[in-house]
Amino acid sequence: MTIDLKGYGDDASTATLARAPGVRVRDLTVVYRTPLGELPALGGVSLTIEPGTITGIVGESGSGKSTLALSLLNAVQPPGRIASGSVEIDGLGDVVGLAGEELRRARGRHLGYVFQAAQNSLNPLKTVGKQVLDLGRSHGVADPRALLREARALLERMGLDGGRVLDSHQHQLSGGMRQRVGIMLALVLNAHLVILDEPTTALDMITQSTILRIVREVHQERGLTTLMVTHDIGVAAEVTDHLAVMYGGRVVEHGPTMRVLGAPSHPYTQGLIRAIPRLSGDPSEARALPGRPPTLGTLPVGGCVFRERCPERMAVCETVDPPRVTHGERTVACHAVEQAHDRAETAGYGPHRLDTANHRTGREELT
Amino acid sequence: MITGTGVTKTYRQRGGMLAGRDVPALRGIDFAVPRGGAVSFIGESGCGKTTLGRIVAGLETYDSGEIVIDGTPMSPLSPKRRQPFFRRIQLIHQDPYSALNPTRTIQQTLTAPLELRARHTKRPGSWVDDRAEELLSLVGIDPGYVLGRYPHQLSGGMRQRVVIARALTVDPEMLVADESVSMIDVSMRLSILALLRDLRERLDIGLLFITHDIATARYIGDDSELYVLYRGQVVERGPTETVISAPVHPYTQSLLSATPVLHGLERPGEERVVPTEALDERQGDSGCLFARRCPFRTDRCDGERPSLVHGLDVSHEHACYHPRPRGVIPVEAVA
Repeated sequence: MTIDLKGYGDDASTATLARAPGVRVRDLTVVYRTPLGELPALGGVSLTIEPGTITGIVGESGSGKSTLALSLLNAVQPPGRIASGSVEIDGLGDVVGLAGEELRRARGRHLGYVFQAAQNSLNPLKTVGKQVLDLGRSHGVADPRALLREARALLERMGLDGGRVLDSHQHQLSGGMRQRVGIMLALVLNAHLVILDEPTTALDMITQSTILRIVREVHQERGLTTLMVTHDIGVAAEVTDHLAVMYGGRVVEHGPTMRVLGAPSHPYTQGLIRAIPRLSGDPSEARALPGRPPTLGTLPVGGCVFRERCPERMAVCETVDPPRVTHGERTVACHAVEQAHDRAETAGYGPHRLDTANHRTGREELT
Repeated sequence: MITGTGVTKTYRQRGGMLAGRDVPALRGIDFAVPRGGAVSFIGESGCGKTTLGRIVAGLETYDSGEIVIDGTPMSPLSPKRRQPFFRRIQLIHQDPYSALNPTRTIQQTLTAPLELRARHTKRPGSWVDDRAEELLSLVGIDPGYVLGRYPHQLSGGMRQRVVIARALTVDPEMLVADESVSMIDVSMRLSILALLRDLRERLDIGLLFITHDIATARYIGDDSELYVLYRGQVVERGPTETVISAPVHPYTQSLLSATPVLHGLERPGEERVVPTEALDERQGDSGCLFARRCPFRTDRCDGERPSLVHGLDVSHEHACYHPRPRGVIPVEAVA
């Protein structure tokens, strides 16, 4: 397989890439080797990310969200491995089939990855500028000056003194500044698919809010496809236009953020939203979700992974893994939702629950 | 009842960029946590909230001011004589993963302090096991399930419950919960908050709740008080719901504005306040500490530091020359 590298001239700042790529994950299964045998961290995940969207992948610990993010780079580390399935990225093909030099080139050029806690992903011995040059060298950028210019412009776009930051070591930068450096490093080679892994964890509230605004603006200005992996639904709600909710190694619900939050379909999403401590609403109406998230070892084999905490558990949930069903823009994997939907259709009421609540689709109306 | 008056603490930096400089962590804090009451301290990292919690738990000394526990001032006492007072106040850490000894079963973790207690109070040995089970039931976990297990076999939420049960072994009067739910998965966070609220009601235990996540402060009881800390100073305080729904200090408003909006479920407040970014904290100690980031600053703010005063509502205090209510918190979207 060859990677399309056309468009990379010797000036990184003028390099133009294909527009924001779409991503199609199909039946992706990732297993981890444990003393109990190989256990699935991802159990046949399918997810379609439309070009130009900014999608939040939310889930609690053990839901598989980080494994999914790493799979998009084909970067699952042993004892984990991609057992089956594909990750198709426009312009790159199936990254599961990439290896070695091809894979290395794809990362950075096409895929920008912003690591959790950027302070740990920077080299403490080198200035930011030197790290930009290293990045350029390892990706064969012919004009390092232009690359530095681009880096400075990006930093300045994010409200920093670009020259100063490029001359700084990481310890001279605050958490919020380091996180912006992380975003700059992900974008400076002109990647159009950007994956942010818990980009605001460990940042203060006000800094978090600034970073989230920057992520959103940069996403729009540069025409990116952005994926944001986070355990914090609030963070995802603040910036994304689509939301994929993960549980027990599955994507249980996926759709426009406004509608997933405003009218959640899956019982897990419903319970999770009711459980979020928030500033609006009556605190006495909030309810914790009973039970606890499954771990690799406690994941039920066969049937629905959520059934043990589910208020709508039925006989079929014990044995049959609920299939993904798509209605319009929304995808849900739940037997109860599907049955309710079928009943409503037969009764002639149109799609039930998936479409009854608010019909707002654009965020503009509310902001 | 635990009260603090004018509590100050200054750290002297030994190395790094701030070497030799004094960094004030607390600049004269007054507070009171009544028996069974709840007080939340919110603020960003470096505001002094953790230092305050450690001082109240007796793990850190203070430079001036006074901590009074049930009528007894602490500073005249020798460290040894303070100990029994501070034992009544137990600290619950943020990280339930590192707070428990990984090589001990939950039973061992709980019985060690209980055996000491049994010896001191001349209780029979059989009391220890009964009490361990009782405490676990009290914090909402099945003793049969956890007693023989090690911390790594439990979820984060369960571990935090075990940590709380361990704190209860000494029959404390107050818990200091420092970011105690931050690392707990969202689906279980409310249940830990409900447990803390429950302990207040059932055991009359006071709660000093320290968090950066303001929303969680709403869930520890509707009679709680909220203190907003900025760079070691209380800038606003009052009943939790009042401060959250009608904040008047621009810093409180900035914090609330920065809280993510659950679009679809909520829409943003119409007057969100965005402060300029944190600047070098070594400077700007004269005047209002927030002035240099404040969008509403005037000349007066640079001159003299405002102190806490109340407005029409005597229970709601603020330290600002230009207090004004602003609609900053998200509003529930009507479906």
